[in-house]
Amino acid sequence: MEAAIRTEARTATVETDLEPAPRRRLVPRANLLPYVLIAPALLVIAGVLGYPLGMLGWLSTQRYGLRELYQHQGEFVGLQNFVTILSDPQFHYVLEVSVVFTVINVGLSMFFATFIALLLERVSRVVRLLLTSGLVFVWATPVIPAINLWQWMFDYEFGVVNWLLTHLGAGNYIHHNWFENPIQGFTVITVIVVWGAIPFLALMLYAGLTQVPRELVDAAEIDGARPWQVFAWITVPILRPIFLVLFSLSTIWDFQVFNQVWVLLNQRPSKDYFLISVFSFQESFRVSQFGLGSAAAVVMVAILVVVTFFYVRQTIRLSTEDGR
Amino acid sequence: MRPRKLLFAAVAMAVAMLAAACGGNTPAATPAETGPLTVWLMNGSAPQSVVDGVNADFKAKHPNVTVNVQIQQWSDVTTKLDTAFAGSTPPDIMELGNTLVAKYAAIGALQDITSKKSAYENSSTWLQSLTDSCTLTGKLYCVPYYAGSRAIIYRTDMFAAAGVQPPTSMDDLMTVGQKLMAKYGSDPNFSALYFPGKYWYAAAPFVWDFGGDIATQSGSKWTGSLSSSQSQQGLTEVNNLVSKLSRADKTGDELKQDQAFAQGHIAMIIANGWEVGVITDPKSGDPTLQNKLGAFPIPSHNAGQTAPVFLGGSDLGIAAHSKNPGLAQEWLQLLAGTKYQSQMVTVGGVIPNTTTLASLSSGLPAVFAKAATNSRFTPNSPNWANVESGNVLQDMLVSIFTGKSSIPSATSAASDKITQILNG
Repeated sequence: MEAAIRTEARTATVETDLEPAPRRRLVPRANLLPYVLIAPALLVIAGVLGYPLGMLGWLSTQRYGLRELYQHQGEFVGLQNFVTILSDPQFHYVLEVSVVFTVINVGLSMFFATFIALLLERVSRVVRLLLTSGLVFVWATPVIPAINLWQWMFDYEFGVVNWLLTHLGAGNYIHHNWFENPIQGFTVITVIVVWGAIPFLALMLYAGLTQVPRELVDAAEIDGARPWQVFAWITVPILRPIFLVLFSLSTIWDFQVFNQVWVLLNQRPSKDYFLISVFSFQESFRVSQFGLGSAAAVVMVAILVVVTFFYVRQTIRLSTEDGR
Repeated sequence: MRPRKLLFAAVAMAVAMLAAACGGNTPAATPAETGPLTVWLMNGSAPQSVVDGVNADFKAKHPNVTVNVQIQQWSDVTTKLDTAFAGSTPPDIMELGNTLVAKYAAIGALQDITSKKSAYENSSTWLQSLTDSCTLTGKLYCVPYYAGSRAIIYRTDMFAAAGVQPPTSMDDLMTVGQKLMAKYGSDPNFSALYFPGKYWYAAAPFVWDFGGDIATQSGSKWTGSLSSSQSQQGLTEVNNLVSKLSRADKTGDELKQDQAFAQGHIAMIIANGWEVGVITDPKSGDPTLQNKLGAFPIPSHNAGQTAPVFLGGSDLGIAAHSKNPGLAQEWLQLLAGTKYQSQMVTVGGVIPNTTTLASLSSGLPAVFAKAATNSRFTPNSPNWANVESGNVLQDMLVSIFTGKSSIPSATSAASDKITQILNG
C-alpha cells in the first residue's frame, strides 16, 4: 500500500511539475469512451484498495476473535467496537501520542528536506553528486535492516552511541537506556523516521527547485531582496503544489509509523510506545481481537481522510487556478 | 474470511473428515494419507540429533512420505499459529507452549485425542502438570513433550574467587550477590545476578514464595491477585535484588541472556536447564565455560527451602484440519516415546514427559529436574495467552524496575487488567 501511494506521489508530482501552459477546457460531451478507457484502472484500484478497505470496515463492525477467525464467521455488533476503544483511556493516550508524533516528524522531515534541497542547488557538482548518492542509498536501504542497524547503535550494552557520547565527554552514557524514558525513546524513533523520510522529500523538492525561473530570482535580487525574502516570496509560492503533496504524504506516512517502533523495541513495545498503528496491530494480532483492531484502524483512516482532505482541496484549488 | 478461503476451508474440512472417517480407531495411517507431513517445532526445543532420529525411524516405515520440520521463533509464534489455524493448510503437528494450549483447544483447532491416549508410550506416567495443560473440559488435546523449570546458573570460579557458597535463602542470595559485586563490580558490565526487566518467569517464583499469585479462581470467575500484600512482598524482594545486583537492561527481555552470560561479565542468571547448552555452544556461546558452571534452585525466603518455580514446557498437538492425522500420530508417537524422550534428557538436558525417565537426569540437569518438583503453573484459562501476549506482566515489571510506578500502583493496574482479560 505504501508503495502504491509512493508511486501515486511520483506521478502526482510529475504532473504538477510538467503542468502545461493554460489550456482551454473542452465542453464536456456525453462520450463513453473515456470511461471505458479508465475502467480497467478503476477496477484495479477498486480491487487493490477498495476491497481491503471494505473488509476493514466490515470487520470493524464484527465481534471477531480467534474463535470467529477459525470458524470464518463473525458476529455483527454494530458500532460496539468503536464505543469500546473510544471509551478506553489507553486509546486516548495512543491518539494524542500519534498526533504529536506526526506533527513533530512531518515538521522535522520537511524542514531538513527543504534545507538539503536548497543546499543541493548551491553546492558544487561533485558535492551534489555525493549528497544525492547518499540520499539515494538511504532511500534504497530496506527498512527492517536499517532499523536493526539503528537498534545496534542505540543498544543498551554495546551501542556505539553510548560509547561515543561518553568518550566525547557528554556525560556518563555507559549502560544508558534510551527507551526507559518514552520522550528519549520517541526521540530516537523520530531520528530514524526523519532519516528515512528525508531522501524522497529532499530529492522531490530539489527537482521542484530546478523549475524555479532563474529570471524571477535575479529580478528580485536586483530589487534588493534578501535570500530569505527570495525564498519566502518566490520559491515557496512556486513550490506550493509540491509542498502540499509532500506534506500530505508525510502526514500519511508518519501517522502510520509502525516498523520503527515494532522492530526497534523487539516486537514487544511497552504501552508508552503505542502509536495508533501499533495499538491496532497489538489488538488484532497479539490479543486476537480483530474487530477492535479494525475499529482502531478505521479511526486511523478517518483521521487521515480529514487531515488530507484539506491538502487535497488546496491542491484542487491550485490546479483550477492554474487552469484558469 | 474471503469466499475463496472459505471454499478451501470447506474442502480441507471435508478431506479431513473423510480421512478421519477412514482412519477410525486404528492407530496406523491410512493409505489415503500420503503426506507431506509438516511439523512446527520451537527454536531450542529438540536437539537436531533427536529430530533427525525421529525422521529416520519414520522414514523407515513410510519411505514415500516427506516430513518437513520447521523451526519457529517464540517471539512471534502466536501470530503465526493464529494465521495458520485460520487458513486451510495448518501444520499437521505443532509444538505449543503449555500456556498456549487452552487457547487453541477452546476454539477447536486441535484434534481431540482422548481416545488415542493409550496409543502413546508412557501415557499413564506423563507429567501431571503437562497433562493438565493438555486437558480442557475433560478432553485431551495434546501430548506432553517436555518440561522445563528455572534455577540459577552460576559461575563456580567467580563464587570461589569471592569466597561464597550457593545461597540457601533469599537474604543469603542478596549477601552473596553483594559480595560478588564488591569483588567484580568495578567492571561496569558486571552483574552479580543478571535480570532483564521483562523477565516475568524469573520474577514469578518470588511472588509465589511469599504466598502471592497471579490470579485466583472461584467458580468460573478469575480475580487478579498481584496486588495482594504477599505478591507485593515478593515483587519488593525482586526489585531489591535487581537494583543492587543487576546491570541488565531494565526494559530488555531474556532472549539474549545466555549470550550475555557467555561474555563473562555475569556471575548468575535465572535460566532454564537447556540454556546451559546455549551458554557453552561453540557458535553462540563459550565452550570453555563448561567446567565453570554450577546451578542451584532459587532459594525461598524461608532458609533451607526452595521457591516454587514456573513449570514451563511444551506439548505437541495435531491440527484438527490436518490431512494426515494418522501419519501425524505415528510421528508424534516416536518423539513422545521412550527412545527419543531419553535422548531429550541426555542430549537436550530437559525434563522428560514421563516420570519414569526422570532418573536419567544427572549433573546440572538434575538440579533443574529437582527444582521442578516444587512448581506452579499460570492460570489455566483459554484467555491466559492474551495476558502473555498483551505484555501485562512485563509492563508491570518494567515500570517497577525503572521506578516509573510504585509497586502498589503497578501491581494494582496489572491485577485489574488480568481480571479483565481472564474473564474475557
